[in-house]
Amino acid sequence: MSRDLAERHDGILRRDFLKVVGVTGAGATIAGCSTGDVERLLPYVVAPEEITPGVATWYTTVCRGCAAECGMWVRTREGRAVKIEGNPTHPVSQGGICSRGHATLQHLYNPDRFHGPMIREGDTFRQGTWDEAERLLAARLRRAASPTNTVDRGDVVVIAGHTGPTMSGLIDQFVAVLGATRVDYDAVTDAPMLEAARIAYGTATAPRYDIGAASLLVSFGYDFVDTGSSPVEHNKGLARMSGVNDESHAKGRFVFLGPRLSLTGQNADEWIPIRPGSEAAIALGIASAIATPEAAGPYANLLQAYSPAAAAEAAGVSEEAIVSLAERFRSEGPSLALGPGVGAHHRNATAANLAVMILNHVAGNVGRTVHYEAQSSAATSRMGDMASAIEAMSAGRIGVAIVHGTNPAYSLPAQTGFREAFERVPFKVSFASAMDETSAMADLILPDQHFLESWGDSMPRPGVLAIQQPVMSPVSTFDSKHSGDVMLAVMRLVAAAPPVAPAPAAPGAPAAAPAPARAAAPAAATFYEYLQSSHRAAYTDRTVDFDTAWRQALRMGYAQFASPAAASPALRAPDRALSFDVPTFDGSGDLTLLVHPSSRFGGGEFANSAWMQELPDPVAKIVWHSWLEINPATAAARGLVNGDIVTLASPHGSVEVPVWLYPGIREDAVALAMGTGHTSMGRYADRHGVNAVDLLPGTPEQPSGAMVTVATTVTLEPTGRAMRHATVDGANGDQHDRPIAPAVQLALLGETAEAAEEEHGELMELQAGGGFIPVPAEDGSPASFPLPGSRYGEYANAHEGPRWAMAIDLDKCTGCSACVTACQAENNVPWTGEDQVRMGRDMMWIRIERYYEHVDATQASDLDIRFLPMLCQHCNNAPCEPVCPVFATYHTPEGVNAQVYNRCVGTRYCANNCPYKVRVFNWYRYTDAIPEPLNWQWNPDVTVRDNGVMEKCSFCMQRIREAENRAALEDQRPVRDGEIVPACEQSCPAEAIVFGNIRDPNARVTQVVASERTYRVLDAIINTQPAVQYLRKVTFHEVAAAEH
Amino acid sequence: MATTEKEIVNRGALAHPDLTRLDDVNRDVLKMLTRPGKGWWMLFGAAAAGVGLFVTLWAYQMIRGIGVAGLTSPVGWGVYITTFVFWVGIAHSGTLISAVLFLFRAPWRQSIYRAAEAMTVFAVMTAGLFPLIHVGRVWHAYWLIPYPNSRFLWPNFKSPLVMDVFAITTYFTVSATFFYLGCIPDIAAARDRATGWRKHLYRIISLGWQGTDAQWHHFGNAYVFLAALATPLVLSVHSVVSWDFALGIVPGWHTTIFAPYFVAGAIFSGLAMVITLVVPMRKIFGLEAYLTTKHFDAMAKLMLLTSLIVFYAYLSEFFLAWYSGEEVERTAFWNRVFGNYWWATWTMLTCNGLVPIILWFKRVRHSIPALFIVTIFINIGMWFERYVIVVVSLSHEYEPFAWGVYRPSFVEIGILIGSFCWFGFWFLLFTRLLPPVAIQELKEVMPPPLRKKKSLEGAH
Repeated sequence: MSRDLAERHDGILRRDFLKVVGVTGAGATIAGCSTGDVERLLPYVVAPEEITPGVATWYTTVCRGCAAECGMWVRTREGRAVKIEGNPTHPVSQGGICSRGHATLQHLYNPDRFHGPMIREGDTFRQGTWDEAERLLAARLRRAASPTNTVDRGDVVVIAGHTGPTMSGLIDQFVAVLGATRVDYDAVTDAPMLEAARIAYGTATAPRYDIGAASLLVSFGYDFVDTGSSPVEHNKGLARMSGVNDESHAKGRFVFLGPRLSLTGQNADEWIPIRPGSEAAIALGIASAIATPEAAGPYANLLQAYSPAAAAEAAGVSEEAIVSLAERFRSEGPSLALGPGVGAHHRNATAANLAVMILNHVAGNVGRTVHYEAQSSAATSRMGDMASAIEAMSAGRIGVAIVHGTNPAYSLPAQTGFREAFERVPFKVSFASAMDETSAMADLILPDQHFLESWGDSMPRPGVLAIQQPVMSPVSTFDSKHSGDVMLAVMRLVAAAPPVAPAPAAPGAPAAAPAPARAAAPAAATFYEYLQSSHRAAYTDRTVDFDTAWRQALRMGYAQFASPAAASPALRAPDRALSFDVPTFDGSGDLTLLVHPSSRFGGGEFANSAWMQELPDPVAKIVWHSWLEINPATAAARGLVNGDIVTLASPHGSVEVPVWLYPGIREDAVALAMGTGHTSMGRYADRHGVNAVDLLPGTPEQPSGAMVTVATTVTLEPTGRAMRHATVDGANGDQHDRPIAPAVQLALLGETAEAAEEEHGELMELQAGGGFIPVPAEDGSPASFPLPGSRYGEYANAHEGPRWAMAIDLDKCTGCSACVTACQAENNVPWTGEDQVRMGRDMMWIRIERYYEHVDATQASDLDIRFLPMLCQHCNNAPCEPVCPVFATYHTPEGVNAQVYNRCVGTRYCANNCPYKVRVFNWYRYTDAIPEPLNWQWNPDVTVRDNGVMEKCSFCMQRIREAENRAALEDQRPVRDGEIVPACEQSCPAEAIVFGNIRDPNARVTQVVASERTYRVLDAIINTQPAVQYLRKVTFHEVAAAEH
Repeated sequence: MATTEKEIVNRGALAHPDLTRLDDVNRDVLKMLTRPGKGWWMLFGAAAAGVGLFVTLWAYQMIRGIGVAGLTSPVGWGVYITTFVFWVGIAHSGTLISAVLFLFRAPWRQSIYRAAEAMTVFAVMTAGLFPLIHVGRVWHAYWLIPYPNSRFLWPNFKSPLVMDVFAITTYFTVSATFFYLGCIPDIAAARDRATGWRKHLYRIISLGWQGTDAQWHHFGNAYVFLAALATPLVLSVHSVVSWDFALGIVPGWHTTIFAPYFVAGAIFSGLAMVITLVVPMRKIFGLEAYLTTKHFDAMAKLMLLTSLIVFYAYLSEFFLAWYSGEEVERTAFWNRVFGNYWWATWTMLTCNGLVPIILWFKRVRHSIPALFIVTIFINIGMWFERYVIVVVSLSHEYEPFAWGVYRPSFVEIGILIGSFCWFGFWFLLFTRLLPPVAIQELKEVMPPPLRKKKSLEGAH
């Protein structure tokens, strides 16, 4: 009764009320889930102890992307590697990491990796078990060696790519146990340099360049920033050498000699466009001019035959250019000449390298800027050995061929006949973790683990030993196994008797001492045991015990040992005849073909990474497809325009490729990059571009045995078809006299303060006349923030918090694009594909703009090419903010131009109104196209953006917040300068980017922007007052007034 | 100078010399509301099919993503915004003819204003779809409307896009109300003759109109009031639309001339569209007596005037770009005429600047076919004007490295065509459902049926 009354009093029945609530609640749930799929999340039932959800764990390891072996820090979240960073303490890479280093993460999660051992059945493969695969290999090895076998008996050959010293030692043991032959082969090697060092000094080590110590750097076509022997280290050295010192105004000069400007060449202050193959003549010509012949020791007679005039004649440039360069060698010490690299491997490449070594020797650089040390782990890859292996295979003498860590079926010229020879081998084994051209021909594939999942070591230089430790358990999608473990198992099966371990590779000693033939298998059960026992046996330091030292090495990522004293070696007489002349080129075409490794793909190993495919080539700014570089004058003479597809034919083969007009190449040459045109490597590599080595001859350079890359002439035949390049460069490198990437002459440094004032003169004039113009910031001093008239100031605590800002030194930036991939990895920036980029829909949050100011391919002259990393400028007076109808973009009290993805409706007005065009739009749900398990790489701290929203650089807001939270937890201390490092700054090998709180007078960024070179892009004409400030590039030559 | 009622009637009568009997007006106009013939059904079928295409393509775009359009960076706005501005422009002459000319007592508006007003309403209905079509997440587009919400989030009133929402909705509300109000007496006239379902329909929507003195009195007051309310909108709506561009800093957008320039352009294109629509209507329904060369002549003169204003604006933009000395501005305008999109710019200049010159000739103004052709040129030219402003400016901004080219995709072209069908769909329905010529206003200006023929000599 009373209840009835109560209900009546309420005017609503309780049951009805609950119904209404239930329906409303359900409605709200449905509305709340309207976007995106709902997925079930399950927590760990029993959480692993070392994993705190939401907190990253970092591991040190070694990059195996190329033979440089930089140190890495790998960030893991909830057991997955999500981001690679440079190890700042590593003695070689010193904190930088290149684009390819970042892209190794995509190899780890490569969706095209094998799901287990693959056994050939007819034309296809069947997935087998590891036990089955190992037994099969052992059986086939025994059968190949069996004297009773008359069908497919034969020798065993192991073709091995570059690997760590201990793994290399194990391969040697494997080879010894099997009585096999080992052939080292890598697509991109400095074999002529090694051979020249052996001839000149008797050591089979590559010279170690200390670029940062030089003040005159002369590269004879050595592309040390693009590829080279240690791109990150050399990039850093170049930035240190050529980046101007704002106090002393000291700046090193970089002269590039070569027929084509690579990315390295684009950084030069002077370009001498020499004829292909004339490096030796010039090096010897200069050497003869700066030293008495006696200084060259056994090469005195050689020097007497050369002079600057003869060099100029051979190179096709003016004599003055050579004489003045020689003069610089005398006057601007310390100098450093860098020997021709892969991009200049012609038929006399060893001689050219030797000539450059002679030049360094007579210039007194040995021991100062160039060092010859006892040992490096760099494999002496000899294509000459490969030639004999091909011969043996095609003669039917090989019963089993095993390929580890290399892909010769793709990277060897068709003319070598490798594919046909390899096809003849009765049993072919590949250790590749994902399909490639060589594995596609194999009978058995034993997928190796990725280096981030497995153990190993590296010795990037004598005295430095780095341990490659797994940073996560192997990706569960793929049933992979460490090659070392497989080899140990197979050795046991073959030898069936495990005696004692032989002497392992010791640091500072030859890493791969060949074991006696038919040796016994090592005792170690796993490669990890083998690795550790090797190092334990070689460990000689008695101050700390091995286990402590081992843990310390794992923590630091490396261990340093006393390296053998770098003696000042004497030149030795050559032990074989070498020609220093310009070599002959095959064919009778009128253009010389320059094939060079790609700074994105190397020799092709990185082609199946979407990040590398979509990274604009640092030189051409083209993605996904191949292009032929041709001088605009040559193209005009043949009636070719950008994008015309031509048939490029050498005596060895032909390809169809679109031309790209490039002022940085000689008129008598064309250039094509290696690494593209794969046929069976994976979804991102196949059918993109052409394979440049198809045009090259099969005979290697003598005596080094390296593949020749500059060896043939070509003819061009227009096909009549054309295509648009998938490029991100909208202006063909012309900045149209706008204040985007200005420069200042070195001689004028110290006098530019007035010029900077003039920049805003026009605005000030308007202001004096009562114009509606806010006061621009004259300097980056903290006192000038917030800027009067800027939109900043809407917050009560505006003057108390930090104010984030960035400085980018354009005199240091080398345009290497490491920051681009770093940003892509950190911020879950998707790739969009060739057609989308062709439309203009690349998603990069940071791009490297490249502008030609002065490029002359006809004569030696000053070179001026500018690079400008363009990212969101976080304008204080941001044009994007007022036009957003829903406040999806706004200014934070910390001075960051924020973008709220969830609030964005997608009107795109902000992008239209952004003068820097740094905002990118999600035209589709691009992330849908990212297959499992590539999405494991996603950074859990950054939203994966939905279809139809705008996005852009956030100054790595997640890192700012992480540092602020950490500081808040530690007694509310302020964030320390340098504690917040955005992904781009972290990766930058050149250390050109500095981020920090500009309101802190002691912050690095505040100190950097105090430079007289500081300017803000376009600020002078549109008063956007960016938080990103640039420091002008410094040139030796006079800069045209319009370019200031 | 006051104009007497009599003079207006006189001038009105002069515009329709062939109309003598009030009965004829009812007969001629209301016969259009009978069962349509084959031709109408074919046109209506085509329009409906076009609407189907429109809806299908839009749905496809919503599902796949706005990427199916050719839009890209740096050209974030393309055919959709171009077409939006085009239809908003079309919408202008309706209000101009009905409200402004009403207030100014222009004698020639009576027989065309109904069609022009209908065109306005349908053009705004079409235009209003395009901002929705072009956004990345249309399902969140309501966030542009200020509505109370638990997050205390309001739209950014500094944004011209929010101003746009207000401008367009206001314009639609006022012009639709104005249109409906003017129709009421005519609907009542139709009701009196109609049978079947039409009778029911007209009875409801005529709101009980009896034609009493009191009703006429209220009607007159309301009409003048709404006309006064709508008149400033003619200026304001397209000014606000022009600020979508002028408030940006894009070279080619950021200029103070935009508001008057857009208003003139809107009237120009609207008049052209009225003629394009009315010429076939006149022919099909036999309205030669109602729409005479005098009407066309007057509209052609107004078109000529606005053409001169628009062309002057073009020239002054080029001159100021040069005179400013600003490299970015100069390059942008140089690119307009000689860059990738030279053809669009030259189409615009030819169609809007050169072709209307022949309107100086009376013979052209009095030739219906010639006028029809000229208006087709103007329609095309005015679409390209917006294309040039939107696309060409965006493609060539401050940052040379980011310059780019935009090519419309088939989805955009399909939706553009579909928008004409959507408009035609409503217009065709209108011609059969509502009196397309204002009966009551025409009657007002016709000689009253007096027994003694002394008041209007020469009229008969």
